[in-house]
Amino acid sequence: MNDLRTSSLSAAVGLSGRNLRNIRRLPSAFLPALLMPIFQTVAFSGTFYAITQVPGFPTDRSINWYMPLGVVMGSSFAGVGIGFSTVRDLESGFYDRIRMSPAPRRALLLGPLLSALTRAVMVVTLVTIISFGLGARTTGGPLALVTLLAAGAGMSVIGTGWGLGLAYRFKDMRAAAIMQLTLFLGLFLTTAQAPLSIMQGWLYDVARLNPFTQILQLARAGFVNEMAWQHIWGGLVAIIVISFLTTTFAWTGLRRLQD
Amino acid sequence: MNTDPTLTLTAPQDLRSSPWAQTSALSVRSMIALWRQPATVIPSMIFPLFFVALGTSSFSRAINLPGFPVVDSFLNFALAGAIVQGVLFGSITGAAALATDIENGFFDRLLVAPTARSSILFGRLAGAMAFGAFQTAFFIAVLLPFGLGIKSGPIGVAVMILGGTMTALGVGAIMSAMALRTGSSEAVQGSFPLLFIMLFFSSAFFPRQTMSGIYGTLANLNPVSYLIEGFRDLTIDGLTTWAVVRALGFSALLAAIGMGLSLRSLRIRLGRQ
Repeated sequence: MNDLRTSSLSAAVGLSGRNLRNIRRLPSAFLPALLMPIFQTVAFSGTFYAITQVPGFPTDRSINWYMPLGVVMGSSFAGVGIGFSTVRDLESGFYDRIRMSPAPRRALLLGPLLSALTRAVMVVTLVTIISFGLGARTTGGPLALVTLLAAGAGMSVIGTGWGLGLAYRFKDMRAAAIMQLTLFLGLFLTTAQAPLSIMQGWLYDVARLNPFTQILQLARAGFVNEMAWQHIWGGLVAIIVISFLTTTFAWTGLRRLQD
Repeated sequence: MNTDPTLTLTAPQDLRSSPWAQTSALSVRSMIALWRQPATVIPSMIFPLFFVALGTSSFSRAINLPGFPVVDSFLNFALAGAIVQGVLFGSITGAAALATDIENGFFDRLLVAPTARSSILFGRLAGAMAFGAFQTAFFIAVLLPFGLGIKSGPIGVAVMILGGTMTALGVGAIMSAMALRTGSSEAVQGSFPLLFIMLFFSSAFFPRQTMSGIYGTLANLNPVSYLIEGFRDLTIDGLTTWAVVRALGFSALLAAIGMGLSLRSLRIRLGRQ
């Protein structure tokens, strides 16, 4: 017990392991987060196949444009899924038992973050393999996979922080709808469907200012352009800043829960 | 306590003698349920408009692509997809409510009451039809100030509202068949991804003529494509016989199939009870 109290990491690994075991025990809760980005990648690439012919579109492969969107969205929903399971634990009273255990408070955030990252790696791997089978190709060499994974991992942290923060505050499934809707809106009000260069009207300004656009640019860095720092740094900064904000949101929610 | 015997005797007798009155009362009940629980229907009103707004801004330059129909703006092209999307998703709500009636025992209470069996189903479907008509009119009314132009004019709008009503009847009836078979609102709600896939593998968001490979083939085989294109022809081509036939013909066919399935499911459920 003394060991557990002093080691955030071992408690976090334990909590993360429990979350991952739930994938096997309750697959219906995780499968949509896994299947949705695959469906989205295939559906968008097929539906908007011809959009690549519009002058100014940065790639001639629609799947190169929409696969990173699927990865980013799937990873963020992998994080939000952790928020769902936390709501279930709060409603069933199991979370009170976790809070009464001698686990450090940090571990209550670190554990879910670790499991969200593991889930995100599963999403990124599966979507990437299927997309390559359907014709996706890198334009920036193997590094493209690194930036894609970085964007996916970053979005899973953002999704987890946001999901946990809302779960701690609402303590019931009302939080689930807000988690999904806000992330959905945040990610679609970007260059999700088309690049800024061909956009017109109100969405252009919204997407230009939306930091998720930078994260999408990071994910697409090696799929629509040559790998260049100018396509990467904005996304990394956005991930760091938004991750900090959402994790702080979760941390303050956890503290409020203890009050 | 009311002791007037005429009040207690006349009401049930009226109901027993008039299936229309029963259907009407049950359809009003289903519409009131939608009104009282806006959270269940608002997504089917807002999301189609959101996708239209996104598409209009993202794909406005795509209208010059080879194979794209001749349109003044992407907004005109997108209206049909929004109507069918909204009606498809909205129709789940009524069917899920029917399944909830089965789950919580209200369906059984209707069966022991002197109610025509078909009224239970038709009451729900009438509510779905009214909501489908409202959705179609709502999408058109909201998008008109943003530059939507409907070449077929007011008659075309009326045809679209009628088509939206029949589509809601068809999809609502198919979903009701599922509700009657399973008696589970979760199973009905679970059909949402199927509708989503049907919608995406169609010409709802982009023309079939610009798709290629297996995706284009699936969109060509998908009846939802032809339903949507009927509405779209009325918007961008004008009031032609072919447009009216496509808009009303496919929705009528869907309604006929749905009604057949749902009545059969009702008979099976009644036979089990």
